[in-house]
Amino acid sequence: MADQMQLCNISANNFEQCTKCSICTTVCPVAAVTTDYPGPKQAGPDGERYRLKDPAFYDKALKLCLNCKRCEVACPSGVHIADIIQRARMSAGEGKRASLRDTLLANTDLLGTAANLVAPVANATLGLKPTKLVMHSVMSIHKHRTFPAYSRTKFETWYKRHAAKQQDAYSRHVSYFHGCYVNYNFPKLGQDLVKLMNAAGYGVHLLDKEQCCGVALIANGLYKQARRQARVNAANIRQAVSARHHTVLTTSSSCTFNLRDEYPAILDIDTSDVRDNIMLATRFIYNLVDEEKIKLIFKQDYKRRIAYHTACHMQRMGWQIYSIELLRMIPGLDLVELDQECCGISGTYGFKKENYERSQAIGSTLFKLIEDAHVEAVATDCETCKWQIEMSTGLPVENPVSILADALDVEATRRANMISD
Amino acid sequence: MRTDTVIIGGGLSGLTCGIALAKRGQRVTIVASGQSTLLFNGGSMDLLGYIDGQAVKAPLDVIAQLPIDHPYRKIGTERIADLADQAKQLLEDAGIMTEGSANANHWRVTPMGVAKPAWLTLKSHVCIDDIEQLPCKRVALMCVRGFFDQPNGMLANGLQQMGFNVEKKEFTTDEITTLRRSPSEMRAVSLSKRLVSNSSLKRVADQINALAADADMMLLPSVLGDEEAFDTLQSMTVKPLRLVATLPPSMAGIRMQKQLQHYFRMLGGNYLMGDSAVSAVIDGDRVVSVTTAKLGDMPLRANNFVLASGSFISRGLTADYERIYEPVMDLDVDADANRDNWTQFGVLNPQAYSRYGVKTDDSLHCIKQGKTISNLHAIGSVLSGHDPIKMADGTGVSLLTALAAAQDILAK
Repeated sequence: MADQMQLCNISANNFEQCTKCSICTTVCPVAAVTTDYPGPKQAGPDGERYRLKDPAFYDKALKLCLNCKRCEVACPSGVHIADIIQRARMSAGEGKRASLRDTLLANTDLLGTAANLVAPVANATLGLKPTKLVMHSVMSIHKHRTFPAYSRTKFETWYKRHAAKQQDAYSRHVSYFHGCYVNYNFPKLGQDLVKLMNAAGYGVHLLDKEQCCGVALIANGLYKQARRQARVNAANIRQAVSARHHTVLTTSSSCTFNLRDEYPAILDIDTSDVRDNIMLATRFIYNLVDEEKIKLIFKQDYKRRIAYHTACHMQRMGWQIYSIELLRMIPGLDLVELDQECCGISGTYGFKKENYERSQAIGSTLFKLIEDAHVEAVATDCETCKWQIEMSTGLPVENPVSILADALDVEATRRANMISD
Repeated sequence: MRTDTVIIGGGLSGLTCGIALAKRGQRVTIVASGQSTLLFNGGSMDLLGYIDGQAVKAPLDVIAQLPIDHPYRKIGTERIADLADQAKQLLEDAGIMTEGSANANHWRVTPMGVAKPAWLTLKSHVCIDDIEQLPCKRVALMCVRGFFDQPNGMLANGLQQMGFNVEKKEFTTDEITTLRRSPSEMRAVSLSKRLVSNSSLKRVADQINALAADADMMLLPSVLGDEEAFDTLQSMTVKPLRLVATLPPSMAGIRMQKQLQHYFRMLGGNYLMGDSAVSAVIDGDRVVSVTTAKLGDMPLRANNFVLASGSFISRGLTADYERIYEPVMDLDVDADANRDNWTQFGVLNPQAYSRYGVKTDDSLHCIKQGKTISNLHAIGSVLSGHDPIKMADGTGVSLLTALAAAQDILAK
């Protein structure tokens, strides 16, 4: 009997595994706040049945999907609901031109390079009321949004000037995919990683070449460019992994998820040979501590109460446990793990005028949880969650790597790991 | 990564066991491959509802009559009575307030209007102590216009047959009408998100108050997000208000899952949602580690492991064309080798497969190739020897075996 039966799933994204249980609809943050979006079951597997018959059944409302992947995390049957939706959006949008606004928002590195050159001017100008009003009306970028401040010096520049030379002195080595946010907006996070890894006895190296991972390009429909950049990144990661035997570390959950999972799932770029060598720094560090290969010694006088927010893509990767457990190792840190709720920004989604209100409505549950937690700061592994939570709650938001680096007793840690100066 | 206990499965039994252990200071990791069947729960727990098709009045009195391989028989009546009290208390600690006791079943009302024996029912939900002596006569069934998940006609007929005098009323409010723009989402979850603010609840109260007439009790589909919303609405209604279960996914189950998960997290537990156990390393009579899909080459190590992975629907058990097996560790299962005996004609007839599950010893330890694994317990629906449909013992088995295993682990 078995030889006449189809025993395995043969469709893309586990589409055939959907049992119509509707559990995905209970966790969708978009369907919770608007009736314009049909919900993940209808937009995903149900709609796909129609679209397979005739692409004309494509529903424009699919553009409202945040691609937060919460439906996939909730699905008891392993259906890649959000990938089905992304693929449908892609087929419908391929060949169409993205708007100027979307192109600009999506090109985080292009915008970053330009802004770095004139950082003080750019920061001041982007923060001005008239600029915001022009952006609001002409560009459709919501006036309440503040662009993250641009740094005067790129991380790469800082690294070459101040860090590169020292790295070869270490006996063990990793590569670092810093991403646009660290490079253009917040080099301190990259510096914190270097500080942390150096104290643990690891030299940190940049890839030969790094381009924006393309997460924003995919979200804004610029698939061709995303594929081009993905190929460059895949080649350079491959070089670091195979020629130098480096693990490639990251500090952004969305970049990480994109490099590991969206490249093959959405862009058809196979990275399976290096996927296991791309990981968030917290996972790498946790494992070293767990296997007693390194020791981290923290300052005695460090005392803070911090809430941890699991970013949606972090939850999709299932790696929040590493960041949380590392933070719990800091003796003076009182950590509150928040229930997993979407902050509503979803990269560039919340920057767009038409999405602003929906974005804030989605985030309101999380903002309330943060308020009730009575903390002095929030920790999260995603930079766009950071912008959203800072804007909406007024609390500072920090990456776990920065918190670890701040709390670290560098000298004691270096001694414990037997690193000589 | 090492914790004291690793639990495979994050539904009712996994969470209950995790909470019981974390409360006593254990570090616990739960691996949950997506949301669980608790989301299908309409707001009641059953302990033991039927024996041979007959409704059970006092579950504790008849446990001794159950087949010898039933999980309750392994635990024993006395301990079950004690664990049942603990279970009610644990739910309350998590914020889940229930009515009922293991000494005497009450009746719950299904979305189709059938009365079924139950052990615990959420305080906000309709619960009938004695079906022969109804608590009131006249019931106003408040139906939400356009709502997907309540077969109003069947429900009203069912209540009528129980002896209630039912008036079916239909209402809507501005918020609810807006929802109808997306007919596929006119469901309990969507309604619950719109019925949060006092003003939106007030509009519901105004509508149903106007329709209440001379009813003794108003019944509303269970579409409220939390107890707070229920209390607010109840304080505004002119007649006593109770919620009645809807078709799944149901708000009662979603609320319970959230509350248990939140409580577990507050106790310091790690809840890995959306990850799944793929394999385990077993050395002699002990499980050493469990590998998950997402943690990959960094397996979960622990002193104790608990299998709470559910039945077929949750993939705790898998059936292919040849055999029925437990997919993570290939543990011994109680299941007929002959495929023809798995099912019988008529989906509503007793089905053999619903009693299949992993084999355990008297302390709920799992067995592999005939040998007992000393640090692996199985709890909940993955266990063999019970029948959630025909015996109405599913949630009871989940809660009570979870607590029994936790006791066992803590006593080590």
